[in-house]
Amino acid sequence: MNATTRESLLAWLDGLSKSMTLIAPQAVEEQICYRPIAESSEIVLDFGRTDLPAKEYFLPSTHVLFSIERGDKGVSIEEPSLERERVVFGLRPCDARALRVLDALFLEEEPVDPYYAERREKTTLIGLACREMSPECFCTSLGLAPDDASDVDLMLTEVDGGYAVQVVTEKGRVLLGDLIMEEWEGTLPQVTGREELPILEAEAWPQHFNHAYWAHLADRCLSCRLCTYLCPTCRCFDVRDYETPNRDIERVCAWDSCLAEGYRRIAGGHDPRPTKMERLRNRFYCKFCYYPKDFGPIACVGCGRCIAKCPVNVDIAEVLESVAAL
Amino acid sequence: MAWATRKDWGNPYRPYLGTLVGVRDLATDIKMFQVELDDAEARKDFAYRPGQFAFVSAFGVGEAPFGLTSTPLRGPVLEFAVNKVGTVTSALHGLGEGDTVGVRGPFGNWFPLDEMKGKNVILLGGGIGGAPLRPVIHTILDNRADYGKLAILWAARSPSLLVFTEEFDDWRAAPHTELHLTVDRGDETWTDNVGLITELLDQVAPSPENAVTVTCGPPIMIKFTLLTLEKLGFTPEQMIVTLEAKMKCGMGKCGRCNLGEKYVCTDGPVFSYVEVARFLESF
Repeated sequence: MNATTRESLLAWLDGLSKSMTLIAPQAVEEQICYRPIAESSEIVLDFGRTDLPAKEYFLPSTHVLFSIERGDKGVSIEEPSLERERVVFGLRPCDARALRVLDALFLEEEPVDPYYAERREKTTLIGLACREMSPECFCTSLGLAPDDASDVDLMLTEVDGGYAVQVVTEKGRVLLGDLIMEEWEGTLPQVTGREELPILEAEAWPQHFNHAYWAHLADRCLSCRLCTYLCPTCRCFDVRDYETPNRDIERVCAWDSCLAEGYRRIAGGHDPRPTKMERLRNRFYCKFCYYPKDFGPIACVGCGRCIAKCPVNVDIAEVLESVAAL
Repeated sequence: MAWATRKDWGNPYRPYLGTLVGVRDLATDIKMFQVELDDAEARKDFAYRPGQFAFVSAFGVGEAPFGLTSTPLRGPVLEFAVNKVGTVTSALHGLGEGDTVGVRGPFGNWFPLDEMKGKNVILLGGGIGGAPLRPVIHTILDNRADYGKLAILWAARSPSLLVFTEEFDDWRAAPHTELHLTVDRGDETWTDNVGLITELLDQVAPSPENAVTVTCGPPIMIKFTLLTLEKLGFTPEQMIVTLEAKMKCGMGKCGRCNLGEKYVCTDGPVFSYVEVARFLESF
């Protein structure tokens, strides 16, 4: 295996940033987020997990589907396109796996989502193995590992003050270009996983659908939706029109959340999911029952963000344990 | 399966541009919009079947899904019956002939009109919810010999909310076809039935023998109609419904319209009661 030094790595990233958009962990008001960066000195290399996942670069919180111009010759529709290739640096294995989860819906289910597909196509992923699992992390319970290289193009692991470099895909090999590396003969550090959580098979969930547990759990939920926005696999979205100051129209796609009141309400007022309990239950069933049945993967990668940030301690790991014990 | 009627999706979020070639009142706050797609190629691509739906855009406000109420074999003009209840529908009601709208679709599955051949057909429509049944009625009337007896049970909250009244005479005049009307509350000129569609159904009491039913309407009407059909001896296999749901994409991606693991947009909107009974969640 080859390894590179921190200095060589940063110099290489600076080189890349000249021809493509470099997205990397950056400190933004005490939060670590993936942001487009101008030079490598802005990159935070020392972090556990980023506060926000990299989802927003594939499924942005708001993006323009097309603009509608109303002119003398009637209405015309203009679609935007990504002009530059991009690199996401420092992706944790859980966040990389989350993209595979989204791929199952946006790329592998017809019709393909062209916006997601273009963002995915034009982005190369550089993974960074975790040094340790945070207390809220449970990726190992979901068939992942803190050093799992299977969902990125290049994988870096911190070793001896530098980084071991694994080339995973052809896209990664091409990107590698002139990175200065040396032969390295150590063994990659092992990260100890935490005790595995019991996760019920998708088919075993429906029998617990009407259990009183859900009302008990939802009692403290604030419907604040933070968990869905921080989640690297939650993908619900809204589509609406927005009028720009010069009277053109943009049709925008924006994150939405199944926890929001009125999420299912139809014109005329009927709401098939009117209570907080039903909406919170839907989130867990979507992740562990519906999504795997419909699209394949479980829609959770064990990143632990929702556990770390929920203001009332709705703990997805605890939910999994509780449901398994019902 | 849901994608069988359209081959190339290109950008499935991008609507076709269309021109309103006709706008007329159908009932109080309900208008019929006739749309001709501007592009000849698009008119060819837009192959749909009775039961499918499409999103109609009022540019600047947004888009919303509507069941196609036109009949594919009767011509290329797309028809939508729109009740003014929200922002998009209000914006559409403000448009007139010659205005541009967007049309995105067709989405969803369709009525099993081939399997219904040779059977007696009972159609139950509640208010504007009955709009997707119109192409079923047209298809049966245009191929009358292929189907058994046709009974249409048509309901609305009040006489002024009954839709497609101008076609009632044609429906009544067709061979082996009955039209039964009811309203929740009559007015001074109303001489027909007064009461819920379930009461009308009890009264008409169609035989379940060699029959199939299709129910379209508001969720509460569907729920009670299915119970009445059950009481009359119809099996879940003989009960077909179309469901409506809030939706944003029409292709299973936005997550909005799920009933448990099923999506109204891609697994429906047409369901058999066999499937409905298995849903984890109520519609």
